[in-house]
Amino acid sequence: MTIKVLKNTPKTLFSIALFSTIFSSINITSAQEVDSVQVNNVVTRKINGHIMDAKTKEHLPGALIYTTDKKQQTVTDDNGFFEIELDDTVSTITVAYIGFETQIVNLKNLHNNHVMVSLKEEQSGRTLEGVNVMGRKKNSSISTLGVAKVEKIGTGELLKAACCNLSESFETTPSVDVGFTDAVSGYKQIQMLGLAGSNTSFTRENIPDIRGLAAVSGLTFTPGTFVESMQLSKGAGSVVNGFEGTAGQINVEWIKPFTENTPKLLLNGYQSIQGRTEGNLVYNHNFSKKLSTNVLLHGRGDWLKVDENKDGFLDNPLGNAFVAANRWFYFNENGLEIQAGFKGVKMDGVGGQLDYKADDEQVTGNMPWGYKNKVNRLETWAKIGKVYPQKPYKSMGLQLSAIFHNQTNDYGPRMYSGKQNSYYANYIFQTIINNTNNVIKFGGGALMDQYNEHYNLEQMKRQEVIPGAFVEYSYNWMNKINVVAGLRGDYHNMFGAFLTPRLHIRYAPQESTAIRASVGRAQRTANVLTENIGLMASNRNFMFNGVNIGNNLSNNPYPFKPEVAWNMGINLTQKFMLNYRDGSFGVDYYYTNFTNQVVVDLDKFNEVNFYNLEGKSFAHSLHAQLDYEPVRNMDLRLAYRFYDVKTDYKNSGLQEKPLVGVHRAFANIGYTTKNNWKFDYTLQWIGSKRLPQYLNTHNNLPVSNEQSQAYWLMNAQINKVLKGGAVNLYVGVENILNTMQHHLIINSDNPYGKGFDASIVWGSAMGRNIYAGFRWSLGGKQE
Amino acid sequence: MKNLIIAFVATIATFIFSFNANAQEKVSNKKTQQVTINVAGNCGECKTRIENAAYIKGVKRAEWNQKTKELKLVFNSHKTTLEKIEQNIANHGHDAGEIKAPQEAYDSLPACCAYHDVDDH
Repeated sequence: MTIKVLKNTPKTLFSIALFSTIFSSINITSAQEVDSVQVNNVVTRKINGHIMDAKTKEHLPGALIYTTDKKQQTVTDDNGFFEIELDDTVSTITVAYIGFETQIVNLKNLHNNHVMVSLKEEQSGRTLEGVNVMGRKKNSSISTLGVAKVEKIGTGELLKAACCNLSESFETTPSVDVGFTDAVSGYKQIQMLGLAGSNTSFTRENIPDIRGLAAVSGLTFTPGTFVESMQLSKGAGSVVNGFEGTAGQINVEWIKPFTENTPKLLLNGYQSIQGRTEGNLVYNHNFSKKLSTNVLLHGRGDWLKVDENKDGFLDNPLGNAFVAANRWFYFNENGLEIQAGFKGVKMDGVGGQLDYKADDEQVTGNMPWGYKNKVNRLETWAKIGKVYPQKPYKSMGLQLSAIFHNQTNDYGPRMYSGKQNSYYANYIFQTIINNTNNVIKFGGGALMDQYNEHYNLEQMKRQEVIPGAFVEYSYNWMNKINVVAGLRGDYHNMFGAFLTPRLHIRYAPQESTAIRASVGRAQRTANVLTENIGLMASNRNFMFNGVNIGNNLSNNPYPFKPEVAWNMGINLTQKFMLNYRDGSFGVDYYYTNFTNQVVVDLDKFNEVNFYNLEGKSFAHSLHAQLDYEPVRNMDLRLAYRFYDVKTDYKNSGLQEKPLVGVHRAFANIGYTTKNNWKFDYTLQWIGSKRLPQYLNTHNNLPVSNEQSQAYWLMNAQINKVLKGGAVNLYVGVENILNTMQHHLIINSDNPYGKGFDASIVWGSAMGRNIYAGFRWSLGGKQE
Repeated sequence: MKNLIIAFVATIATFIFSFNANAQEKVSNKKTQQVTINVAGNCGECKTRIENAAYIKGVKRAEWNQKTKELKLVFNSHKTTLEKIEQNIANHGHDAGEIKAPQEAYDSLPACCAYHDVDDH
């Protein structure tokens, strides 16, 4: 497989060359390590030892051991053991561990060069119940540790968006582009590396979450208030979580009832002038140290008819959404951990022309054009884990989940309905080889997806069963070099067996610098209708392989090949101090090359044609970002990203993918005062995008390859924290400039006519929005 | 695209080198002073309090280490003095360097910061 890619792309050669350079440097350095006993006439000796808690006699994994000049250092393994090679002249080492008193150990007169150290617990002083410790935490951060570059998005960043669900919470993240799927449904979709959100794998606490038919709508189902943090990484992910995820991974961690700072009750309310009301409630309860639960509720209502651009269409559908979830956690002293939960979603929406009512029949003619949406979804999951208390490096886990999804969407006379039942099981075993610098994970599982879709009168039904197994090896050398190599093999009942190799490398020449590279393959079955559901808000004729859908399905329920892509990337994270203030700089470059893809061809104004890729399809993505604190408590973020996403289309040849902004620039400035006022301001510039072909209704001629205007977006928010963090009040403005896409809907006067198209959304579909809300935490940590 | 990659690699190299050079440069300006003093305190809340109190006009960086009780200060000696900084921290209830906190200020500390009680062990 690799050879095929090599032929295709000279850039692959480059990346591989780079990898091999890094690899060879690993070999060289580790060889040096072994030979270093008598290099440069300095006599060295190997000190080994054990670090434990003086009181409980438990071993302390991860304790830091270093020389006074800090030139040599190491950490203890999971059993509290360490080994360090020191010059003979070094007479003391320092042992430090969080929460314990730092100890200096004399190395003279050692027996067998062995050290035993017992650390005393630090006297942390009186801690009083109900006192909230408020350190200053960065809202989002990128660490130089860890083999993959991961953007951590904390609650602070989530609050900046203030509203409301996952898709909206990415609006202040430069790595992700967010846009409306169309002008009537109110759904937003994301793009990462220039690829649609369906190419990103979404997990909830590492269990696959938003996939299949929910690829677009699913982001709405996770309310921001449920979320404790998010981890976003671009490029190939771990093989442990599956074979999907071409563009990257987004993992969402929900609020956990048992963690220290979790309040008993969390309440959140939100109101915007555009007629959206939201309420969230999270209730946490610990029955004992072993058993805990939380209940999470969300309700949303859109009740005001808004038509800011006066085109006769609602800017956002009216309707309600409810999400309810319940989670249970159990831990016991033998290392058994169990988690189980469910989430239910119910959504209803009605939109379209202003006087449309939900029962109006949609016949070509005079009746108002309408949009209807209904989603019912149930997710249940369980995680069973076992850690061996005597051997903390060894663990195993079983993840189980089942998803039942049912949605109907009516776009004018066009009707779509889809049902999905998915079942997932994954077993993971983790252990070490010799020491904790060599970790191995292996396991296997199966994924089953049952789809039943109706497009007008046509039925599309298919069942996918994909059992698979994986192995992943991680190597760590002095926290300077990390390598994670993974391989999984899966068997697909429709498409046969396939291998998914993935490789991650991190090299940190010093603590403040990390260079990382990754390469991997990803495969997925595209759900062409739901992933492009926004296109139904038009009078485009849906075609599979150049013919009407029905004619194609009679002998084949799924007339496409699976999407297969290779992704490779390299990135740099550099932390620095300038004028005594901290900052970091990051740049990353990713290249995705599709060998198979279901092409969405929009270059004919009254149709959309789906067909298998013939030729090239690729995405280059470059992202540079600077984070700096120029004045204390003032965070500045500047980012720029560039996309080059092109596909070979049957009629028009190699073309830029429509509705992808090539350039985007981003600036965010946040300031916190000493008395807890927070000010946040975001400015974005979005470059022009290639538009799909549409019909100019004045002269009745199609318009091809038009470029949209570039535009600016500005958001601001003021936030006040009261009562030691228990109450948070916020008020904000989105789209301050009130920039709106002009002619949001093409031929909006004649929605049953040939040229009607509400799916070409390149700019801001909604005008200026002002909102206010609160977040209230009640009760500290319970017994 | 090839050019882009070359530019990318060049950028990486430049940044690593320039920042490494920067790191070795350190303090050169005489008016900028770097001092470490001991400041009494216990918890994370104290850290916020101490650092807030330390950032008076002329202070470029103040970082208090909860474990070692050391406060690392960088300040412009033309704009402020070490005594002024210490005095302001002491006024907020934390003994700083040579200056003891006035009893009044100490008494108004939040409970977790009452370091005298801890010292009596």
